[in-house]
Amino acid sequence: MPDVGALLETEGLSKHFKGLQVTRDIGLAIPAGQRHAIIGPNGAGKTTLFNLLAGELAPSAGRILLEGRDITALPPNRRARLGLARSFQKNNLFEAETVLDNLLLADIARGGWGHVFWRRLAADRAARDKAERVAAAVDLQDRLGQEVRSLSYGARRQLEVGLALMAEPRVLLLDEPTSGMSPEETGLMMELIDSLPRELTILIIEHEMDVVFTHAERITVLNYGEVLAAGTPEEIRRSEVVQRTYLGIADESESA
Amino acid sequence: MMPGQISFRHAIAGLTFAGLFVYGTQAEYFGLELLAEIAVFAILAMSLDLLAGVAGLVSLGHAAFLGIGAYLFALLAVNWGWPPGLALVVAPLATAAVALVVGAVVTRVRGVFFIMITLAFGEMGHEFFFQNRALGGDDGLAGIPRLDLTAIGLDLADPETFALSLLLVAALVYIALAWLVATPYGRVLAGIHGNEQRLRALGLPVRAYKTSVFALAGGLAGLAGVLSAQHTQFITPQLLHWTTSGEILVMVILGGLATLVGPVIGAIALTLLRHELSGYTDYWGFWLGLFLIAVVVGGRNGIVGQAELIWRRLRRRPGHA
Repeated sequence: MPDVGALLETEGLSKHFKGLQVTRDIGLAIPAGQRHAIIGPNGAGKTTLFNLLAGELAPSAGRILLEGRDITALPPNRRARLGLARSFQKNNLFEAETVLDNLLLADIARGGWGHVFWRRLAADRAARDKAERVAAAVDLQDRLGQEVRSLSYGARRQLEVGLALMAEPRVLLLDEPTSGMSPEETGLMMELIDSLPRELTILIIEHEMDVVFTHAERITVLNYGEVLAAGTPEEIRRSEVVQRTYLGIADESESA
Repeated sequence: MMPGQISFRHAIAGLTFAGLFVYGTQAEYFGLELLAEIAVFAILAMSLDLLAGVAGLVSLGHAAFLGIGAYLFALLAVNWGWPPGLALVVAPLATAAVALVVGAVVTRVRGVFFIMITLAFGEMGHEFFFQNRALGGDDGLAGIPRLDLTAIGLDLADPETFALSLLLVAALVYIALAWLVATPYGRVLAGIHGNEQRLRALGLPVRAYKTSVFALAGGLAGLAGVLSAQHTQFITPQLLHWTTSGEILVMVILGGLATLVGPVIGAIALTLLRHELSGYTDYWGFWLGLFLIAVVVGGRNGIVGQAELIWRRLRRRPGHA
């Protein structure tokens, strides 16, 4: 039975590719507004979990519920319309277009108004206002007219989050928004994520442990496709099984 | 794309069309023939620019729709005895319908496979008209009528009136396409060119959009075919040949991809080069090739891209001095 108050839930979510089990019996219950981090070593199935949640992969078993509604069979665009948006681990933008047009393209694609040929895009005040609001939320309000190919790496990562925000999601899936960033850029990005509206539910895949422990309210640790542990940052930090199998591994690989 | 860049292109387009108009009012018979040919190729090249330059769908079979438009017009106006005015409207629409069906198939593949499959479709079209005795086979069709616009005081039998009318149509096509690329639809086409996978992930039905622009560009090529048929009043399967498709693509690349005005300039350059150089040398294709290599190796986006670079440098200089 769905938990009362959980916005996004999974029950027994599993995925295997030709006998290789990459996601095993994952159960999540994420209430509205929670900042939830997914951590785990490389190959733990974090991005696969996001692909399942966003609808880019179909699960082998299990269910996904958004506000108690079963969305397991819905394609990505339908899930997007219900309020699920994601950003990508690698920058995946429209290089030759301006920041403004990138945001507007996201809005057009989500909103399904790409057939409009009788009105210039620049004449659409409402869409522009929305794009400007989102640009401000990701701290790109001064770069609206700049082409993406001339942006710094950090600014591109911010725009990547902006594209997801254009869908006005209730659940935002952020796949390593700080990957490849300098510590300063990482700090700015996390500030930016913290400043997003409180009612927005955020699931974030993150590698930087400091970042995870300071910014997440709840953490799910994946290992070999299954949930190793789940809890508050404090509980995860103290968890012996996590210490042994994951934090230990991370330390070893860092020193190697 | 930056707003300043767009107004620069509109300015070049205005100058280009004004220059062609002035030329048309001064030119003798041969010059007017050239002008009419330029106008037809300008429309054709702009339609391919929408497809290849804006949406990134490089077709090597675009001339097929030029030919289909021309043959449909001839079929309706000559064989079936329709009024040319009606045939002029129906033929491009029917060409667009054919392009819609072809587009639904060819947009299944991407990249070099798209080039190959459009080439194959183009050759099929060429072969169809080449072998079809009822449509004149390789001899083509003659006696195609021009539109009778004497009711509104236009005598299209007059070379100057005809050439300037075609130029007007080309200018209207430019305005329409320049408008279109600035609409949400046009921006989506550019987005498909830039990153179609992300648009798909954002929920856009990418293939439907590709098919629609293929049909639109095909319809415009059909319009160019209708105008070409009225110009020469004689058509052959050569219109559909892949070398014609290649020539249009050269016009687009030479002028500047996705600039719309570039293909117009490319059409002027190629038509003039063909006629002028062929008067001096049998090797005009050689010199054209050399010219094209110079433009492409120059690294800019064709003639318009080069002009934009020069314009930016000129404007920057006084500020830094």
